[in-house]
Amino acid sequence: MAHDLIIIGAGHNGLVTAFYLAKAGLRPLVLERRHVVGGAAITDEFHPGFKCSTLAHNAGPVAAGILGDMQLERHGLKVISHDGALMAPLADGRALRLFADTERSAREIAAFSKKDAERYPEFERTLSRLAAVIARVAAQAPPSLDGSSWHAFRDGWALLGLGREVRHLGKRDLYRLLRWTPMAVADLASEWFESEPLRALVAARGIFGAFLGPRSAGSAALLLLRAAADPRPAGSLWIPEGGMGSLTQAMARAAQEAGAEIRTGAEVRHIVVQDGRARGVVLAGGEEIAARRIVSSADPQRTLLGLVGPAELQPQFISRLQHYRCRGVMAKLNLALAGLPSFRAIQNGSTLSPRLHIGPDINYLERALDDAKYGRFSREPYLDVLIPSLLDPSLAPPGRHVMSVCVQFAPYQLRGGNWQQQRDALGRTVLDTLACYAPNIRDLVLEMQLITPLDMEETYGLTGGHIFHGELSLDQVLTMRPLLGWARYRTPIAGLYLCGSGTHPGNGLTGLSGRNAAREILKDR
Amino acid sequence: MSVRYDAIVIGGGHNGLVNAAYLAKAGKRVLVLERRHVVGGAAVTEEVFPGFKFSVCSYVVSLLRPEIIRELDLPRHGLEILPLDGTFTPMPDGNYLWRVNDHAKTRREIARHSRLDAEAYEEYGKAMAQMAKFVKPILSMIPPDPARLSWREIQKFIFLGRRFRSLPRADQYNQVQLMTMSAVDFLDQWFETDVLKATMAASGIIGTFLGVRSPGTAYVLLHHYMGEIDGAFRSWGFARGGTGAISNAIAAAAREAGAEIRTQSPVARIVVKGGRACGVVLENGDEFEAEVVVSNADPHRTFLKMIEPGNLPDDFLEEVRRYKFRGSSGKVNLALDVLPDFQCLPGPGLHLRGAISISPSVEYVERAYDEAKYGHYSHRPYLDIVIPTLTDPSLAPPGKHVMSCFVQYAPYHLKSTTWDEEREAFGDTVIETLAEYAPNLKDIILGRQVITPLDLEREWGLTEGNIFQGELSLEQLFFLRPVPGWAQYRTPIKNLYLCGSATHPGGGIMGAPGRLAAMEILKDFKR
Repeated sequence: MAHDLIIIGAGHNGLVTAFYLAKAGLRPLVLERRHVVGGAAITDEFHPGFKCSTLAHNAGPVAAGILGDMQLERHGLKVISHDGALMAPLADGRALRLFADTERSAREIAAFSKKDAERYPEFERTLSRLAAVIARVAAQAPPSLDGSSWHAFRDGWALLGLGREVRHLGKRDLYRLLRWTPMAVADLASEWFESEPLRALVAARGIFGAFLGPRSAGSAALLLLRAAADPRPAGSLWIPEGGMGSLTQAMARAAQEAGAEIRTGAEVRHIVVQDGRARGVVLAGGEEIAARRIVSSADPQRTLLGLVGPAELQPQFISRLQHYRCRGVMAKLNLALAGLPSFRAIQNGSTLSPRLHIGPDINYLERALDDAKYGRFSREPYLDVLIPSLLDPSLAPPGRHVMSVCVQFAPYQLRGGNWQQQRDALGRTVLDTLACYAPNIRDLVLEMQLITPLDMEETYGLTGGHIFHGELSLDQVLTMRPLLGWARYRTPIAGLYLCGSGTHPGNGLTGLSGRNAAREILKDR
Repeated sequence: MSVRYDAIVIGGGHNGLVNAAYLAKAGKRVLVLERRHVVGGAAVTEEVFPGFKFSVCSYVVSLLRPEIIRELDLPRHGLEILPLDGTFTPMPDGNYLWRVNDHAKTRREIARHSRLDAEAYEEYGKAMAQMAKFVKPILSMIPPDPARLSWREIQKFIFLGRRFRSLPRADQYNQVQLMTMSAVDFLDQWFETDVLKATMAASGIIGTFLGVRSPGTAYVLLHHYMGEIDGAFRSWGFARGGTGAISNAIAAAAREAGAEIRTQSPVARIVVKGGRACGVVLENGDEFEAEVVVSNADPHRTFLKMIEPGNLPDDFLEEVRRYKFRGSSGKVNLALDVLPDFQCLPGPGLHLRGAISISPSVEYVERAYDEAKYGHYSHRPYLDIVIPTLTDPSLAPPGKHVMSCFVQYAPYHLKSTTWDEEREAFGDTVIETLAEYAPNLKDIILGRQVITPLDLEREWGLTEGNIFQGELSLEQLFFLRPVPGWAQYRTPIKNLYLCGSATHPGGGIMGAPGRLAAMEILKDFKR
């Protein structure tokens, strides 16, 4: 019996798509290559008694609408959010802390600059107004370039927000939106603030996961995109109890309840195409499953160049897709710690924030990129650190902790050497960097799990080790994601769709790519 | 009692002169006030050493709008453009890349490095020419204002949208990529030869504080296919008599149309009464009245220095203050006894007649940028060199030569030192760099003029030494140039206009800002 629809990959976007399609009455079959659902949103016991979000450690956060539709809390999701949001320790032993509470953040900032403290609330308000527009754009399919000019005009109009939203936004904010989008996030941060720690903290969101430095044009667009999920300048902490795996487990349950079937350990080897139409898939074991439609949550290159194969595609399309930039720059280090590290910035009874930013100034972040440009990992990397066990004791034995570190920049392609040879050196570099701020950290390490970009590709199926399934740069967002003319979740193969992060808006764990894709697929019914 | 003018143009740079010429041709009584002893601004020829004449700042021409040449009849006023043929890139390993306008020859040359690239070069050239055709009308267009919902503004967007949609899909791709990608990322899609990519990409960073890997640098690649001399695409050239000859021709056209041009007349202040500009005061106290005032100076000088505080709204001033200049380049002009001798291609030859580019690899150019990011001039800079005497011997005594080296990066803001202290060391760096490829250089220098970004600011009035009167980064282009909401040459002060490179379409010897501003001013005169 042919299934209505097969979804390749049970990452969060695959599960969201499955849920919405099942909800609409289809019977999707989700095929997951690994033994566990979740894709890059998983929890693993990497050392006896120590559990950690293996890859992604902080959610987008998931769009509120999706949370509600899927009723994830009923399916076991317990979200921990924390307002001691973020601490940026500095080399001189001080630290800048930002909180969810604006006034409290401003008081912290005042220790570095009174002027910045005054401007911070306005920045937060401005960012959230602009982010609200981006959030609307993120929650819908990008406009089409084809069709009648009326459609294009309408799409463009809706998109630029030249209609209702703009009147809300006002002239000044519209200009800001137009001006900010192509900017370098360092310039944006410098326009607002004079203290380096705050500039760097704001700028970091514009380079997270991207092959961009704070001085790269377009990094402000990434900041806006991330702010669309959470408009607070430093972002937020949004973690499920039990790690990211709990999120995707709940999603899987929601999808199953809605009527989706999920098979793990089912690796799709090949998408069967006949006469330009997707007919089904072939699994690694040789099993063939027919389906009228196929939706892939794998990245665009893996899906089209790998699973479909060049024979079914136009040479020009192939060439475009080959040039889709998908070279990751992030490594992940998970540490099992015998105790809480002593940060030099923690004195006089202040408490350690569960989320830390290591990257004290703009030049530091920019230099970290410089190394990667020439094929080396950063000698002093930018680190996004979580100590989830501070909030969720279930992750480690009593008194012990896990630390989860996103390490940037660790380029997928190394010059002179490979990741097998350089893995240990990267681990040492990260510990050395952390030790600048928490000198005793090395003594506390019981176990470390280092995931290089190569591991991300080989073990977790992220082509090029790119956590966003492709660079979120100005030429690969919106109508251009993944490729111009193919941004509406369809592909040149009839009946084959994309629903992963390689599609608009493609930003972290928000689930929006999955939901937008589901809507488009249902339109074709 | 002085006469009352219809328009006063502050600054006799090429855009100010173009503006004045168009206003005068429309019958307006125009006065141009130039601070220096010579007109032209950065498009100027000066005899720096006895007998040696230099295009001191701007040194090549390609983008001068053909409609301006035609409408102002510049050839009749003495403009003659001599073609600049090719780009020669010496490499440290003794190899070189030498591209010329002769396509077949260039193809053979590139094939020496890569057969695939030789084929791609053809395709690339065609694609870029298509793109240039698409972009060209935008250079002659008053930017729309996205926040004004008048029919006139919406029409402009519809025009742009229709044009884009009418392109074949492949061209749409190219267009989007050119506007957003880095020069290197863009070229990576076409070519594999590093030196070819480096030389082409380097043209994308001229005058900007960006590296070849910085997103937003790709669109400048188009400039090389946008230049028009005698109607032929993609040609660069020299003006006979140096770049100043262009300014002189425009000035002659302006004078013929009735404009008055005064040099050594630095404007101290723009007189504003009741929110209206009504004249200027010179540094010596002389006052001139006019119906409108047009400033060819950049927004900083115009709004922060020439207008008394209180005449402009705070949010506008805030935007002006955040307008980015960040000059990134300098210039070294050399008087030479004989021609330099390049190790990789010894002796005099045609390769010296075009541009000589020191951009041996992408990494070389990118590392030059890395240094500038942290406040140092490049220890090994990217150089774009011309020897105009090979084309126009009148610029130097018989047998001798002038050489012009455009140097990048030379960041205006140096870390823990000043340009006055670094000027000579910077000059030495440039000579050292070039001498690695042409070892005889050091022995043939008769005179050397080093122009730092600080000199560009002091002497030529370019704030922070930016040669385009403000960075040509995406957020400062088109309807965002110089500041959002004020991209149509008008300013918050009635009857005060801008006409310099800080307005759309920006820098280079294009003349378009001056002409477009004149069109807007004349519209307002009719009201």
